[in-house]
Amino acid sequence: MTRRDVMLRLFLYAALTAVTFLVCFPLIWAFFTSMKPKDEIFLWPPTLWPSTWTLENYRALLVGRDAYFQAGGSSGGTPPPSAFFLDWFWNSVIVTVCTTLITTIVSTLAAYSLTRFSFPGQRAVPYLALVGYMVPSIIFVFPMFLVMVDLRLTDTLLSLIMGYVCITLPFSMWLMWAFFRGVPVEIEEAALVDGASRLRVFWEIVLPTAWPGIVAAAIFTLIVSWNDYLFGRVFMNSMEKLPLTVGVMHFFDGTHVDWGLMMASSVLMTLPMAILFMLFQRHLVAGFGAGAVKG
Amino acid sequence: MAGARPAAPERRRFTLSDRQVGILFMLPFIVTAALFMVWPVVEAVRMAFYAYNPLRPDDIYWVGFENFERIFDDPLFWESFRQALVWTGWSILFQTVLGVALALLLNLTLPGMAIFRGLLLFPYIVPTVVIALNWRWIFNSEIGIVNHALLSAGIISENIAWLSTPDMAMLSAILLNVWKYTPFVVICVLARLQTIPTELYDAAKVDGAGAWRRFMDITLPMLKEVLVVVIVFRTIWTFNKFEEIYLLTRGGPGTSTFNLAVYAFEEGMANLRLGVAAATGVVMIALLLVGTIIYVRVSGFGREEKTA
Repeated sequence: MTRRDVMLRLFLYAALTAVTFLVCFPLIWAFFTSMKPKDEIFLWPPTLWPSTWTLENYRALLVGRDAYFQAGGSSGGTPPPSAFFLDWFWNSVIVTVCTTLITTIVSTLAAYSLTRFSFPGQRAVPYLALVGYMVPSIIFVFPMFLVMVDLRLTDTLLSLIMGYVCITLPFSMWLMWAFFRGVPVEIEEAALVDGASRLRVFWEIVLPTAWPGIVAAAIFTLIVSWNDYLFGRVFMNSMEKLPLTVGVMHFFDGTHVDWGLMMASSVLMTLPMAILFMLFQRHLVAGFGAGAVKG
Repeated sequence: MAGARPAAPERRRFTLSDRQVGILFMLPFIVTAALFMVWPVVEAVRMAFYAYNPLRPDDIYWVGFENFERIFDDPLFWESFRQALVWTGWSILFQTVLGVALALLLNLTLPGMAIFRGLLLFPYIVPTVVIALNWRWIFNSEIGIVNHALLSAGIISENIAWLSTPDMAMLSAILLNVWKYTPFVVICVLARLQTIPTELYDAAKVDGAGAWRRFMDITLPMLKEVLVVVIVFRTIWTFNKFEEIYLLTRGGPGTSTFNLAVYAFEEGMANLRLGVAAATGVVMIALLLVGTIIYVRVSGFGREEKTA
């Protein structure tokens, strides 16, 4: 390696590190802010590294509710929004998991059917998925809300699940469709000729082959339903039934903003996605390649 | 066993019971799509011709094209439209340029590159609520770290009111969008870059082409197709984005960061005019269909399907 190559390499690493730092900075800053006591958060000039480390912000979110009720807060007035944090968290978990299960199963079955069988109207389905994929949730949300009113489902977690299935199904379908088109039919045909039933072929040959695609579709569905704000905002009323994203915005409603609390909830809200991301990064990239993203 | 196969290989996929399995597999999708995609869209279009206040559900009446006349006469609608164009144009420009540059950087084979790739894709999975909260915090005019950094670097001489002056609020929103969605461009471009044969570059080097020439003559033409697709997709989504703007600025200060999605939301949620919101939605659908048709044309969607 010549001297010039070494310099070039150093320069490239420096550039990459700088970009990566800029990209990660908002979250790094959120993390350190969440670990600071209140008076230190408002220090000017601001410091990155907390001089005193504290978990008080996390404690307020995770056990704040018990503390509030033990202090006799139930006797009057409404509890502070932070008392609902755990409720919101579980609501989001339930809704996200249910949505992902439904969307992934429905789209896997449909995409398989679409690539292996022929039936009238078959050609229209990918176009339907494409349009559904393009339509933003703001267009769906009000008519969906009316549908929920008709079904008497407003302010229930079920309505959220249905809303998220509706926005995630098209792209999940799209991704699974791309995957199944790439899986050769010869092995399946051979097994069918040898007398295996279609269901058995699906279960024992198709599913294992399509597994990476299914995982990618499931993760994208998870991300979209965990991150959504709009449906929760329009469909839900009761404080204890909100999803995390809508609930956390209630921290802004008071006269002063508790940034420590806010940053702690940011960290807790990002954590599950970050873990998923680290575990399944390769699948995600594969999914991007097949065009299965909504954003 | 192979000898026992029927002579006609035309028996490709279907027996009668097979066909039933196919329909059975398709059924959940058809039911879900009909109930939660087709029905709402039909409702959305129907609602655009009614006056409807969700607080008085019995008081619903047909108004014909009045909702459309109303929005086309509303200066705020046109302001939102113009701002949506500004917001979309700058976001897409930054995302594309940055995305291609980063993808070229990440395409190099250096030790440790996997870590950079992972970290640079991370913003895509961060919830919009989280990044909007962080943005409000780091761009805070009095105690935000961004102002502090710019002040101490001597770039500015007094605090910038990032979120409370119209131009700066728009810029902050655009920066947020660029931060969150550039990874999308990076991944798509990176995937394409990895399929360009290295022989092309070697040959160009032998011919004495410099790095810039090689980029212009080899890389860019190879990326053209994927860039068109990415730009069409991102334009459609960015134009209709709601959460990125609403959570950061609520459309403000004033109405200076409204786009059509925020306009529709405010008409529906704050002013309780669901008919007007729906009419805005119909305009958005119409614009989006144009985009989709462009996408179908340039990507060869459907053509590929016929041969498959």
